[in-house]
Amino acid sequence: MILLTCPNCGQRNVSEFRFGGETVQRPSPTETTRATWAEYLYMRKNVLGVQSEWWYHGACGCWFIAERHTKTQEILETYFLPEK
Amino acid sequence: MASSISMQTHRLPPAPSQIINREKVVTFTFEGKEYSAYEGDTIASALAAAGITTFSRSFKYHRRRGLLCCAGNCPNCLVQVGEEPNVRSCVTPAQQGMKVGAQNVFPSLDVDMMSSTQLVDRFLPAGFYYKAFMRPAALWPLYEKVLRNAAGLGEVDTDAQPGYYDKVYKHADVTVVGGGLAGMQSALAAADADARVILIESEAQLGGHLRYSGQSRGETAVHIQATSLAAKVAAHPNIEVMKNTLAFGRYDHNWIGAVQGNRLIKLRTKSLVVATGAYEIPPVFENNDLPGIMLGSAVRRLIHLYGVVSGTTAVVVSANPRGLETALKLIRVGVKVAAVADMRAELDAELVAQLQEHGVIVLPQTTVIKAESGMTRLESVHLRSLDGCHQREVSCDLLVLSTGFMPANELLLQAGAKVAWDETLNEFVLASLPENVFAAGEVTGSHNETDIVREGELAGLQAALAAGFDGNNRAQSLRLRVAPLQARIDELQTEIKQTREQRTAWTAAQLAEQAGKKDFVCFCEDVTSKDIKQSIDEGYDSMELLKRYSTVSMGPCQGKMCNVNALRVCAHYNGQTISETGTTTTRPPVKPVMMGALGGRLMEPVRVTPMHDWHVKRGAKMMNAGVWKRPEHYGNPIEEVRAVRERVGLIDISTLGKFHLHGKDVPALLERLYVNRWRKLGVGRVRYGVMLNNEAVVMDDGVTACLRDDFYYMTATSSGASSVYEWIESWLQGGWKLDVHLLDATELRAAMNLTGPYAREVLQKVCEGIDLSNAAFPYMHAREGKVAGIDALLLRVGFTGELGYEIHVPSGYGLHVWQALMSAGKEFGILPFGVEAQRVMRLEKGHIIVGQDTDGLSNPLESGLEGLVKLDKEDFIGKTSLVFASEYGIEKRLVGFEMPDGTLPEEGNQIVRVGNGPIGLEIIGRITSVRRSPTLNKVIGLCWLPAEMCDVGQEFSIRVRGELKRGRVAKLPFYDAEGVRLNS
Repeated sequence: MILLTCPNCGQRNVSEFRFGGETVQRPSPTETTRATWAEYLYMRKNVLGVQSEWWYHGACGCWFIAERHTKTQEILETYFLPEK
Repeated sequence: MASSISMQTHRLPPAPSQIINREKVVTFTFEGKEYSAYEGDTIASALAAAGITTFSRSFKYHRRRGLLCCAGNCPNCLVQVGEEPNVRSCVTPAQQGMKVGAQNVFPSLDVDMMSSTQLVDRFLPAGFYYKAFMRPAALWPLYEKVLRNAAGLGEVDTDAQPGYYDKVYKHADVTVVGGGLAGMQSALAAADADARVILIESEAQLGGHLRYSGQSRGETAVHIQATSLAAKVAAHPNIEVMKNTLAFGRYDHNWIGAVQGNRLIKLRTKSLVVATGAYEIPPVFENNDLPGIMLGSAVRRLIHLYGVVSGTTAVVVSANPRGLETALKLIRVGVKVAAVADMRAELDAELVAQLQEHGVIVLPQTTVIKAESGMTRLESVHLRSLDGCHQREVSCDLLVLSTGFMPANELLLQAGAKVAWDETLNEFVLASLPENVFAAGEVTGSHNETDIVREGELAGLQAALAAGFDGNNRAQSLRLRVAPLQARIDELQTEIKQTREQRTAWTAAQLAEQAGKKDFVCFCEDVTSKDIKQSIDEGYDSMELLKRYSTVSMGPCQGKMCNVNALRVCAHYNGQTISETGTTTTRPPVKPVMMGALGGRLMEPVRVTPMHDWHVKRGAKMMNAGVWKRPEHYGNPIEEVRAVRERVGLIDISTLGKFHLHGKDVPALLERLYVNRWRKLGVGRVRYGVMLNNEAVVMDDGVTACLRDDFYYMTATSSGASSVYEWIESWLQGGWKLDVHLLDATELRAAMNLTGPYAREVLQKVCEGIDLSNAAFPYMHAREGKVAGIDALLLRVGFTGELGYEIHVPSGYGLHVWQALMSAGKEFGILPFGVEAQRVMRLEKGHIIVGQDTDGLSNPLESGLEGLVKLDKEDFIGKTSLVFASEYGIEKRLVGFEMPDGTLPEEGNQIVRVGNGPIGLEIIGRITSVRRSPTLNKVIGLCWLPAEMCDVGQEFSIRVRGELKRGRVAKLPFYDAEGVRLNS
C-alpha cells in the first residue's frame, strides 16, 4: 500500500484516497467533435513513468494532483490545481 | 502417564540449550495413538522422541516422508490438527488433547495403498494432468474426483466455526525482520541511534541459529551469547520485539504484512532491515527423500532445543564447517558416525582431527549419490568421490546433509532487490537494494559470524539514517563522543568490503549429471530431475515455463527447498549457467498464511440514524442500505401503504444525502450539474433534478430548494450521498472557478417525511411560524419554521404520491421531532412506514430509483426522464455525450408494465422473445422493479424494452421461474396521474 501526501492533511495510506485518473483537459463542449470527445472520455496515455493524476482524499474532501511514477510508485509531488 | 513418557525412546538427557520443560507433560494423539510431549515440544519433536520417522506421504507417489528441515519450510511434516489442515508439525507446539492426523493417506500412514502409484510412474510424467485426462472431456468430472482424492493437501472441515481473528496497525522508524545474530545487532544499532524499532521473529525465541548451533566461543556456549544479546534487545526502550510473528509480505512504500497467530499486523516502517537468514537445502540424489535423511540444521535443532536424536548410526555429507561440527555433536550425544563425506578439497583441519580422534572416517571430495531404504526408513547410503574413482556403501539409519544454503530473501525480492548468482559461493548474493531497504547476515551470503555481526550493525545504522536519525542529536544530548552515524557506516563498509572478497563457499556445486530414478528436486510436488529434463525436452525450457509445467516449486514450500536445485538442473540440461537461467518471480506470502487471518473480523462501518433505537423498539425489521441501517417495515408493509394512502404515515429519511450550497454562483453550478433549468428558481421554491456523469449516464437524482439567493439546500439519494459530494467537489476544485461553498450536511440533519391526506392536520398541531395552507405553502415549495419547538426546514415534495412534508431538523433533535409527530398523529391513525412501503408507493407513482431502475449505461432520454432534459441549455455535464448518443436514436426504454394474469415476477427477470438464444429465446429486456400494488390491486412494475415495443398495451413475454408469462406496457404513473393528491 503506497503512501500519498494530501496537501491538507499530510502523508496517509492510499486507502484513504480515491484515484481520479490521469489529468485530462475537458474539450470545449460547443466546439468538440465526436473523436475529440471520445478521446477525452476514454483514451488514456497509461505511461510507464511519471504521470500526473487526480486523487481525492475522503477524509478532508480535497482533490489534488499527484506526480507519480507508475512503476516505482515514487510520488514526486502532490499539489492543488494551481490558481491561474 | 508414566508409561507414555517411557515411550520417548529417542530423548537425550537434559542440557542447558534445551527449551523443553520436563516437569510438564502433555498428551496428544497421532493417527489415533496416544503420545506424550514436554511443554516446549513441537508436535514433530515429540513424535521424533517417540521414534516416529514417517510423518506424511508424498503428494504424487505417496512415498514415506520424514522430518527434513524441522524449521517450518519443507512439506514433509504437514499434518491435520483437528479441523485445521496443513499444520507444520515441526514448528507447532504440542498441546494437551490435540488430535493430529496424517494427510493424504489411504487407509493409513503406514499402509498407504496409493504408494503403488510409484510403480506406474511412467504414466505420471511431468504435466501428466495436461495430457492423460483430457479425453474424453465428458469423463473429466470423474477424473477430477479421483485425482482430487489422490492428491490434495488435507481436508477442509466445511462445518468449522469461524474463529476469532484480529488486526492491528503498527508504525516504526526501523523494522528488522529476523531475530538472529544479524537482526539483533541491527535492532540494537538502530535503537541506539534513537530510532523506534520493531523486531519481528518468526520463532518463539530470539537467537536464530545460535540457539541450536551447539558451538562455543571460548568458554561460553553460543546459545548463552544469544540469550544475553536477546535480553539486551528486550531491555532496550526503543525496541519492540514481536515473536512468533511471520512477516509474510513487503509491499509498496515499506508496508509490511505480518501475522502473529490469529492476528494480522499491518506495519508501516520508514526503513526495513531484512535479516531472515538462509534456508539449508538438500542435494539431489537417488532416494534423497527417505525418512532418516535430514538437514544438518534440523538434526541440531532436535538435539539442542528438544533433546531428541532420531537415529543410532549416522553418515554426514557436508560442504561447510557446520557439517563437521554436527558430526562431532552426534558423537557427543552417543550416535555412531559411520562416515563423514565432505565435498570440499580442503577441510577444517581442527574439526577433522577431532573427528579422527573418535575413529570417524572422513572422506574429502566425496558426496552421496544414492540412498537405500529398509522397510520404513533409510538403511544405507552410497558415497562416491567427486572424480568417480571411489565408491562405497555405508550402513546407517540417519543421513545428515549440510551441503548448501539458499538465502531467505523473499522480502528483499518483493521489495525489488536484485540478486546475482555468485560462482565462487555457489549462492545467490545481493546485487542491489531499493531505497530504505537493507539486508544483513546469512541472507546476503555471509555465513561467518564476524561478517554477520558487522553487517547487522551496518544495516541497523543505515536504516536509522534513512529514517532520519543521523546520530548527531544523541551525541549532543548525552554529551558523549558518539561518532555521527555516517562515520561509523563508512568504517563498517570498508571492513565488510575487505572480508566480502575473502568469503568462501558454504554451498557445494552439485554433480552435473544426476544419477537415476527418484532423485527429488521438489519434495512438495514429487518432481524429479528426470521430470525437469522431460519438461525441457518438451519445450518448457525457461524457468517460468518449467515451473508452471512441471509444478516444481509450486507446492507448500514455494521453492524454499527446491528453487536452487531446480535452477541447477534446468541450467544443466539447457547447457546454460545459472545466471543465464534466471529465477522466478517472488510474491507474497513468504509462507502460507491462514485465510481467516487475512479476512479478519468484519470491520465494515455501520451508520444509524438518530431515530434508530425507536425503530428497533417498535419492532422494525432493519435492512442494510449501503452502510446505513433502515427500517424495511414494522411488520406489515401493506398496512403501512394503506395508512399513507388513506390517513397519514411517517418515514425516517435521515439517510438522504443533504448538502448546503452557499455562494453567489450556486445557480450557475446547478445549471451545470443538472439536466434541467435552475436559474429562475425563486426563493422558497423546490425543484427535482437529475445528474448525469460525463458519459450521460444517470448518476443521481434529488430535490434542491432555494432558501436565499445565495443559499440552497440539496438532497441526494442515500447511496449516492458521498459520491455526489465527491463529484461536485471534483468540478469545484478541478477548475470551475465558481463562488460556491459546499457543505455535506448528511450527518448534521435528521429528516423525516410526513405524508398522507392528514399530513397537514398532524403537522399543524406541532408547527409554528409557517402558514401550512395549500395556497401559502404549495407543492414543490420550501419553508423554514419550528416543528415541535425545533428549527426545521420543510420541503413539500411527494415521493409517495400523497400530500407530504419532508421535515429536516438538526440531528440531535431528530428523535424528539419524530416522537412529537407520532404523538400528534395518533388521533389520525398515523403509522411509521419503512422502505418497502415507500418502494411500493413510489412505483405506483412511476418514480424511478437511480441504480435500481437505471444502470451504468442508462441515459435520461431512455429512462423516462426526457421531459426534464433541456438540451438547449448552454452546457451541463453529460450534455455533449447525450447529444452524440441521441443522434443514434433511442434503442431501449424504461417503461411501466402490468401483469394481466396477476403473476408476480421477480426483479431481474428477463424479457424474452423467440430467437437464437441457447433455449430458443432471445433476451430483449428485463424487469427492474415489480410489486403487487395494494392500492390498485394489481401487479405493476418498471422494465426495459426495445424502443419499438414501448407503446401502451404492447404485450411481451417474461421468463418467470422458468415459465413464460405475459406482461403489458402500461401508462405511467399508475396512481393519481393528475397529481390531485400531491397538490391537495
